[in-house]
Amino acid sequence: MAEKLLEVKNLKSVYKTRFNEKITAVDDVSFDLEDGKCLGIAGESGCGKSTLAMSVMGYYYPPLFYESGIVNISGIDITKIPYNQLRKEILGKEIAYIPQAAMNALNPTQRIINLIEDVMEEHISGITKKEIRKIAEDRFETLNLPKDVLQRYPIELSGGMKQRTVIAISTILNPKILIADEPTSALDVTSQKIVIKLLKDLIKRGFIKAMVFITHELPLLYNIADDIMVMYAGEIVESGEAEEVIFDPIHPYSNGLMNSIIVPEKGIKGKKLTVIPGAPPNLKYKLEGCRFFDRCLFAKDECKISEINMKYVNNRSYRCVLQVDELKEMYEDGKKPATT
Amino acid sequence: MKSYRKYMTSKIVWYVLTFVVALFLNFLLPRLIPGNPVSTIVSKITSGMADTNSIKRVYETFEKEFGLNKPIWEQFLIYVSNLLHGNMGTSFGQYPRKVTDILASSIVWTIGLQLPAIIVSWILGNVLGVLAAYIKKGFDKVLFPVFLFISCIPSFGFAIVLVWLFAVALKIAPASGGYAFDMIPSPTLSFFLSVLQHYQLPFWSIVLVGIGGQSLGMREMSIYELNADYVKYCRLLGLKDSKIVRYVFKNAVLPQITGLALSLGTMVGGALITEIVFSYPGLGSVLFNAIAAQDFPLISGCTLLITTGVLIANFVIDIVYGLIDPRIKVAQQE
Ligand SMILES: Nc1ncnc2c1ncn2[C@@H]1O[C@H](COP(=O)(O)OP(=O)(O)OP(=O)(O)O)[C@@H](O)[C@H]1O
Ligand SMILES: [Mg+2]
Repeated sequence: MAEKLLEVKNLKSVYKTRFNEKITAVDDVSFDLEDGKCLGIAGESGCGKSTLAMSVMGYYYPPLFYESGIVNISGIDITKIPYNQLRKEILGKEIAYIPQAAMNALNPTQRIINLIEDVMEEHISGITKKEIRKIAEDRFETLNLPKDVLQRYPIELSGGMKQRTVIAISTILNPKILIADEPTSALDVTSQKIVIKLLKDLIKRGFIKAMVFITHELPLLYNIADDIMVMYAGEIVESGEAEEVIFDPIHPYSNGLMNSIIVPEKGIKGKKLTVIPGAPPNLKYKLEGCRFFDRCLFAKDECKISEINMKYVNNRSYRCVLQVDELKEMYEDGKKPATT
Repeated sequence: MKSYRKYMTSKIVWYVLTFVVALFLNFLLPRLIPGNPVSTIVSKITSGMADTNSIKRVYETFEKEFGLNKPIWEQFLIYVSNLLHGNMGTSFGQYPRKVTDILASSIVWTIGLQLPAIIVSWILGNVLGVLAAYIKKGFDKVLFPVFLFISCIPSFGFAIVLVWLFAVALKIAPASGGYAFDMIPSPTLSFFLSVLQHYQLPFWSIVLVGIGGQSLGMREMSIYELNADYVKYCRLLGLKDSKIVRYVFKNAVLPQITGLALSLGTMVGGALITEIVFSYPGLGSVLFNAIAAQDFPLISGCTLLITTGVLIANFVIDIVYGLIDPRIKVAQQE
């Protein structure tokens, strides 16, 4: 079995609002990430994908607070160490991040090379500016990015170029794990392809060892992920190998998502994850039973009663009271969720 | 680059136009004040004279010398041509001193007072502002209301409070003047010490009021910058907060440079009220007295100096910004 680079257990994070309400945006999430793998996380807008990314990186700034759980990175539980140790030894070095809105992620009054200098000087003591420049130029060359980007200001770069630059900056220290939060959402199709290729390249060349890829665009996930977790209202509702989750989903929510995508054409062209009628529940309230209840076409009374735990079947897991066979049968019966 | 030149050319044209209009208003507005300044001077000189004929002759001599018997447009042309020769005319109120001499001697005092005060308050205000935004909690809770309070007090009110506290009640600083009234300006140590002593109250009254306003603006800007995405990204790259605050400071302070340049530009007339309260021998006091005496040439001279200062400051901002702030540079090139 490959080495576990990242181990998340029962992680729970909450937003505390000004009115002292608690919004549980990440609720009891557990997963592992092994060497060489790419884990895809899919889910509708607002289901807690970005919050999960922040929590895994230990980025707890108000209004986001750590509640419980473990995040093991290279054998260290980062929820238990002081911030300064996290900053110096983990962030950027062991685990790196590509922000959702890379367009605004760069300081507008700083040249790219100066940010790289600051990042490298922070983590490698005694490194000279000349050495940094050499490393940065080599890395940009390897990744097919023009070298003169280094001397530019962010405002002078196109959207796609900015995104690729951010990826190069995030991975300049060869972090083991990269968390990419919707790295392609703001880009056109051509730029998307280039960015996906760049990310795959990073793993292939060994600059990073494993990746978490967050998105709400399934076609992309199919292209890059080995495993997929489907997230709904702060919880993981299904996880398994990418192929299986996409073409043979178990949970009614995943089924709804995938159905709407796969049915008409063969293949999974250009559709997005926002087609199931209704809206997710408000995470402000304490939720009883299945969170997908209101939108589920197969819901029964028992779904609302108790807490629903993850069920493990072979290599897969899902969160539903029904058995796999029952669900499959209902999908077969043509009681497919509407694909409006 | 070509479009940048076009941008600069159109800017320069606008500045020249503004200057010409301002020049005309400088000349015209003081002359619209009702009353006749010559009769004031004449009545001063001729007090005790009984002969109405000679009084009339004195009056006519003055009127001719000042050119007041000519139509106003001709006066303006003479004014402009004199100006081109570096001649701003003769003061009515402090006759026969030249306006240029009066301005030259008083502007030294004004700049000496204002330049350090503005720079000190700008630097302190901005540093305190960014710290208040970053530290929040206790620091911000104390500083913010204090700054707000200070910046709401009109500067003359603040000056008067300082005079009362330090000069009248505590008696540790002189209340007025630029130096002890029994001294003659000379390059001696005792004169220098006296200047320094008289310097304290007006200096700190300008500095404190300046810090108030400056830090409030800076605090707002910094809070905005601290919430920007790049702050989060830099933290996730493992950068130190002290480094990130430096980025934030730079980005937040750039717009504040406009404020600095403007206060430097308005510097010559800016501390008018502070100078009057402390009877400081600067341009503010001169302008105040000139208005009281309907001293047209001196008023025009003062206002021309102020106008020029503001225009130059704005012009410098326009150029410098493009060089130091890439956000503006791009906007200029579009
Ligand atoms: N600063 C905040 N204060 C309070 N609640 C927040 C805050 N940020 C996010 N939330 C809530 O937390 C939940 C999860 O948000 P999150 O940004 O993680 O979603 P997401 O899955 O990344 O969505 P998207 O696809 O739109 O990026 C949402 O319901 C949102 O309302
Ligand atoms: Mg998000």
